[in-house]
Amino acid sequence: MTPLAEIVSPGLLTTIQDSGRPGLRHLGVALSGAADPISLALANAAAGNAPNAAGLECTLKGPTLRFKTPVTFALGGAEMKAQLSGSPLRLYAPHEAKAGDELVLGAAQTGARGYIAFAGGLAGDEFLGSRSTYLPAALGGHQGRALEAGDTLHSAELPTVTPRDIPASLRPAVAHDFFLRVLPGPEASQLSDGELTRFFARGWNVARRADRMGVQLDGERLSLVNAPAMASSPVFPGTVQCPPDGAAFLLLCDAQTVGGYPRIAQVIAADLHLAGQMRPGDRVWFQEISADAARDIALQKASFYGDLLPFGFFR
Amino acid sequence: MNDFSFVIKPFGENGWLAELSGGGMVERALAANAAADALRNVPGLTDAVAGVESLAIRFLPSAMTAEAARARLENALRHAAAPSSHSAPAIEIPVSYGGEHGPDFGALTKKLKISGAELIALHSAQTYRVLTVGFAPGFAYLGPLPEELQTERLASPRARVPAGSVGVAGAMTGVYALASPGGWPLIGRTPKKLFDGRAEKPFLFSPGAAVRFAPIDEKTFAAMEAAPQ
Repeated sequence: MTPLAEIVSPGLLTTIQDSGRPGLRHLGVALSGAADPISLALANAAAGNAPNAAGLECTLKGPTLRFKTPVTFALGGAEMKAQLSGSPLRLYAPHEAKAGDELVLGAAQTGARGYIAFAGGLAGDEFLGSRSTYLPAALGGHQGRALEAGDTLHSAELPTVTPRDIPASLRPAVAHDFFLRVLPGPEASQLSDGELTRFFARGWNVARRADRMGVQLDGERLSLVNAPAMASSPVFPGTVQCPPDGAAFLLLCDAQTVGGYPRIAQVIAADLHLAGQMRPGDRVWFQEISADAARDIALQKASFYGDLLPFGFFR
Repeated sequence: MNDFSFVIKPFGENGWLAELSGGGMVERALAANAAADALRNVPGLTDAVAGVESLAIRFLPSAMTAEAARARLENALRHAAAPSSHSAPAIEIPVSYGGEHGPDFGALTKKLKISGAELIALHSAQTYRVLTVGFAPGFAYLGPLPEELQTERLASPRARVPAGSVGVAGAMTGVYALASPGGWPLIGRTPKKLFDGRAEKPFLFSPGAAVRFAPIDEKTFAAMEAAPQ
């Protein structure tokens, strides 16, 4: 493994993430991976990597790195005013670092998470086939934890193809307002009369509690009727739960695999990547659509991105 | 012929949820897990996850229609034969009850109006079945818990529960394979390693397994924890 770069300062919360651990929820193992997987996949493509290579996920405020070896890298996701030894860098385009260069990422202007992809991908602890960091159980990535000053990143030395600019039309825009399309969840009928309509009609604020496990929605409390105590039942990223206190909670990539709260809505697979960019204070609206429409949107989005995303990306 | 019945509901545009009712707690949970096992390697299905009395599947709409996925789920549950008795010997889990290993032990004995010795005797007399695995990596839901020991979850969950912790909630007892957040009152801890990250099957518990708890003292706990496993 080649030492790639040293962490000079870690930023707010910087972890190694790849495309996660799909299909292992029956073991209690969360998906993990990039919270905004399209942005990481596109940054990977720009750096010449396969979509599932591990890179850095930088939360709200990015890190400063010092390169130890020449390498191609690319940035994606939230704009963090990145500079390479003083020169500003564009997102979704390959850049060349020399040994000794410093890459400085600042605070995200909009969005929650910026991504850095390094040609060859990052090495990291593998757990069940993925290098993704899962903080709640300290698994994967760099010793299962967020990066700290003095840590060294290593290259996984995976095969690469020619780096490329990602066309502007394919770059996800990140703003402060989010529109997520949803289907009513299995317990939507446990909301009181008219509450589901209200859930769709109004905008919700993203609360301070917004991490990789999920996002608390601030605003009015929803009221539940005839909600019997539920035995633990499966949940997925994109499930909106409504605990007895009525404060809705949207589960994200590190969500537990089962839960005991009414599932009032499910974000469609094609829109879930957007939720990874929601930060405290942002606004989110939920729009109900049909299952057929949701499946069509996933197919359209998959064909829009073509081979930049792997088969079965919107799962 | 199964004693449980089930209803199937949509769960997102690429999922279905089956809810089981009737029959016994163990029968429902093991039937859901047997069906999940049968569905897990079906091409086009991306997830088959059993809850305590439920089973969710997810499918790739580009590989399978929603109707075909639903039919698969229904068929798997109809033919899910939960083994009524377990032939393999019970996995024995040594547990140090109370003290620093069971921070809620004292409060629980007061609440349940039983002595510490009674709590230990009741909890360790039963042979449990692993109903399902979930919530956190390798977390095992075991049941049924004797009625005398049934209690609610903590009002506010702990941010971090040590690996090996044994908790109780409702009609179940649970074991944390890994350190994780957790909301179950903790009565003890096992020094036994329940997780091996390098193994092909990294977690000791799998649904259906029979489990017994064997009380040990703190000294034995320390000795076992220090010994290579």
